[in-house]
Amino acid sequence: MKLIVQIKKRIMSIVFLILAFLWIGPLLIVIMTAMKRTEEYISKSPLSLPESIIPLFANMKAAWQLSGLGPSFENSLFYAILGASIAIFLASLAGYALTKLKIKGSFTIFMFIYAGTIFPFQLYLIPLYKMYNIFNIYDTKIGMLIFYITICIPFCLFVMRNYFTTIPNEVIEAARIDGASTFRIYRSILMPMCISPVLTLFLFQSTWIWNDLLFGLMLSKSDNVRPVMPSLMLLSGTFGIGSEPQIMAGALLASLFPLLIFLSLQRYFMAGLKLTTAGE
Amino acid sequence: MLEVKIEMSVTRLKDVIIPYLYVLPAVLLVSVFLLYPVIFTVYISFTEWDLITPPKWVGFAQYIKLFTDPAFTQSFRNTLIWTAGMLFLPVPIGLFLALIINGVPGEGLVKVLFYLPRILAATAVGIIWQFIYSSDGILNSILTLIGASKFTHTWLTQSPLNTIMMILTTGWGSVGWAMVMFLVGLQTIPLEVIEAAKIEGATEWQINRYIKIPLLKPMATIVITMSIIGSFTVFDLIWVMTRGGPYRSSETLAVTMYRGAFVLFQMGYGAAIAVVLSIIVLSFSIIYLRTSFREE
Repeated sequence: MKLIVQIKKRIMSIVFLILAFLWIGPLLIVIMTAMKRTEEYISKSPLSLPESIIPLFANMKAAWQLSGLGPSFENSLFYAILGASIAIFLASLAGYALTKLKIKGSFTIFMFIYAGTIFPFQLYLIPLYKMYNIFNIYDTKIGMLIFYITICIPFCLFVMRNYFTTIPNEVIEAARIDGASTFRIYRSILMPMCISPVLTLFLFQSTWIWNDLLFGLMLSKSDNVRPVMPSLMLLSGTFGIGSEPQIMAGALLASLFPLLIFLSLQRYFMAGLKLTTAGE
Repeated sequence: MLEVKIEMSVTRLKDVIIPYLYVLPAVLLVSVFLLYPVIFTVYISFTEWDLITPPKWVGFAQYIKLFTDPAFTQSFRNTLIWTAGMLFLPVPIGLFLALIINGVPGEGLVKVLFYLPRILAATAVGIIWQFIYSSDGILNSILTLIGASKFTHTWLTQSPLNTIMMILTTGWGSVGWAMVMFLVGLQTIPLEVIEAAKIEGATEWQINRYIKIPLLKPMATIVITMSIIGSFTVFDLIWVMTRGGPYRSSETLAVTMYRGAFVLFQMGYGAAIAVVLSIIVLSFSIIYLRTSFREE
């Protein structure tokens, strides 16, 4: 009986692995297409195997240069890494004050900031566009960065606040009696205990910023400000300027950042999904 | 004596003020860039505004215009197709996969592979599937290869086929997400409950039907409401794959809003769509927040 169950499980896992690989089949086709020379792509079936992998680099180079994907890549690295880090920093400061320092109306302040997660983005667009023009931060790096920081703060606060409430107040009190300053307690006691929520938040927020199209389209236009996704869009489609293999090479390049972040921080990932459900 | 008193009150004052300084940057940024825009958009929805001249108050005129505009009706219909699609594709398939893969060797790798499409930007996913759906693309080639060439299509040019194909694309990214969410939910079910049922002689199907699925209900509520909210706010993928076309046939509310405001520069009209969209989304968000905060 046990043996049958064992065998059944083995077969199931093989079936599932095959299914899973079929599931990511489209990605394999993208990689295959990105390896083809333009003439090779035009003359052969899209399902044919590439002749060699050398053209991949030429295609990536073309994608990098054609629609400003190269500079956008640097811009988005800047937004994703700095934006996520600063948002986590500011949110953790606020979460610290709301849970561990004496503050009046701490739940009201929390709900006020948390409200920033529930509105659809469409409610922000028109006023933001106008404000950015009035403040002269439209199409500037700093303008993009400020927005990305802000949009990430409410969720980061939610997670950090939840986490801080699990840390006993006695820890903080003991440090205070030893004469540690408010900021020192935050920096040397609280934050070192929060490495896993911080990394989880970094995983989700930096990927979100990197993958954003909407706000990039709306708040930027020049090559040295525009994030990566609007540039990728310029490369492709009816209005685009790249050939199919170049477009696919561009899509691959633009996906490297989230893939690397995901694979390297994978063990924080299940925990992180739990956080997105708010409960527990 | 007096000096000590002053010093004391200075420290007291510092103790009172400092906590607020910690909250200040977050409150300031969120008020200026998120909450103020919400109020401003609601105001603009009652005006006519081209971004340059001052807004002109028109009362409910924009809302009345919405409900008599065939483009809006079409867009609303497409949005409802999206909602139905997001409910009937990722949620049941994700649940089914989660139930049968839970505890099978290799679960970890399968999970990662299924989740992978979700990591990618909607922009990249849209570009990839646009290529798959193109007239001499992968899908038509496969159909020709298996001798079903009469089923080949230009997939993204007819309505409602273009919307359905884009829903399938999003489903590709979402099934893995729903599956992993349900797996997270399954982890919270105590093993003893399942062991006890097994000892009582319950079959696998009975365990799924009477123990696991009922206990997954809170997670299911979350997955369902998040899917519904997602279906109302989808923008990137459509903008990349069809730009809402051809002839506005695949627009959804989010796309119509963007087009109204930033292509046609009718801010009042765009704002009114944003408000309608938000009322729908917020009513679902309340369900979501209730479930998740109740668990807490």
